[in-house]
Amino acid sequence: MKQFLIGLGLLFVLALPPVADLLESIMIIHMHMQMPSIVIAGFFMGKLFQQKFPQFFEKWNQNGIPGILLFTVIMVYWTIPKTMDETLTITSMEVFKFLSLSFLAGVPLRDSWKKLSERAKNLVFIFFTVKYLGMGVLYINTNMQLCNNYLVIDQITLGWGFITTAICIVIYLVYNNYTDQSIYKE
Amino acid sequence: MIKKNRTTFACILILLFGCVLFYTGTDGLRAFTAETARVNQLLEDKPAFPDVTFEDSEGRTYPISEFEDKYVFITFLYTACTTVCPQLEMNMAQVYEQIPQEYIGKDIVFLSISFDPTRDDPATLSKYRTFFGSDGETWRMARIPNETELQTLLDTFGVIVIPDGKGNFAHNSAFYLVDPNGLLIEVMDYQEIDQATAKVTSILESQKEE
Repeated sequence: MKQFLIGLGLLFVLALPPVADLLESIMIIHMHMQMPSIVIAGFFMGKLFQQKFPQFFEKWNQNGIPGILLFTVIMVYWTIPKTMDETLTITSMEVFKFLSLSFLAGVPLRDSWKKLSERAKNLVFIFFTVKYLGMGVLYINTNMQLCNNYLVIDQITLGWGFITTAICIVIYLVYNNYTDQSIYKE
Repeated sequence: MIKKNRTTFACILILLFGCVLFYTGTDGLRAFTAETARVNQLLEDKPAFPDVTFEDSEGRTYPISEFEDKYVFITFLYTACTTVCPQLEMNMAQVYEQIPQEYIGKDIVFLSISFDPTRDDPATLSKYRTFFGSDGETWRMARIPNETELQTLLDTFGVIVIPDGKGNFAHNSAFYLVDPNGLLIEVMDYQEIDQATAKVTSILESQKEE
């Protein structure tokens, strides 16, 4: 319950208009801080759902694959330039962003991650690395304004943010797979 | 059956949901950026040119009805711009030169509209137009002194202008074509000069045949 309240509080604070406006005024913060924060809020709230509806998760997310799939779908959806742009101009899209990233991405991520095998986890990381590299190259090399509400310079910053994230994931993957993790798990 | 393969079933369901989400989110896979969505929407709506008063480089003031019975080829700019606008106007100049001379001024007028009325007074526009071979008559450059009118026009045509705080603006660019009835009928990529020329010429030709 405590975790649920933390998550709910976080979601609430993020959704406060001044906070949302501030975070959304800078493109890279919108994509790489606000959106992940909403996912984290959902992640916190997920525990209560797991406790209240254990059967649902047991039945429908037995091996974690459906949950992580849903998480991926939602995450990819919000990196389309158009959807991100529309959250700034259309209120219903903004509401959908908060609800989908928390409940359709954060909650299933929490339930799925522990159930996934090492291999599946690696696959997820690799998928996001490739995607982020691709998005990074796209945002850096497109001179055209992809998002009407942001400057081209913001777009290039975001591009490098994507690439940095991808590099960090690679470092983690290498570290995780080439070092002996069992010694830490006593 | 569902009971046995719940995971598979759930995965399929989620993938279907994903497809629907992406399909609707991109207007049927047609628009991945808000800009394409904007252009598609404009071409569907064909909005009418709002009632505004121009003040051109020669200091003349007139409403949009000045161009009645003519096609108007429009771009939006501000003269202090050092990036996209000169490029946009250069390309506009090429379209201006490539369109058969017989139509210019008679069936079609070129019009560059400034969205920075404070700085772009007639004198500034008059100087600016000479850089691109605009004659001030068949290709005019004008500002809209009234802020409200300007904003209405920008909103109608979906031109988004964001001041960057350093006296510059970020803005989306395109070639706009308004028909003799004052309706917006084409929004063209300003980087595809030949394509725009061909399209405008064919519209003018078909108009002539009628």
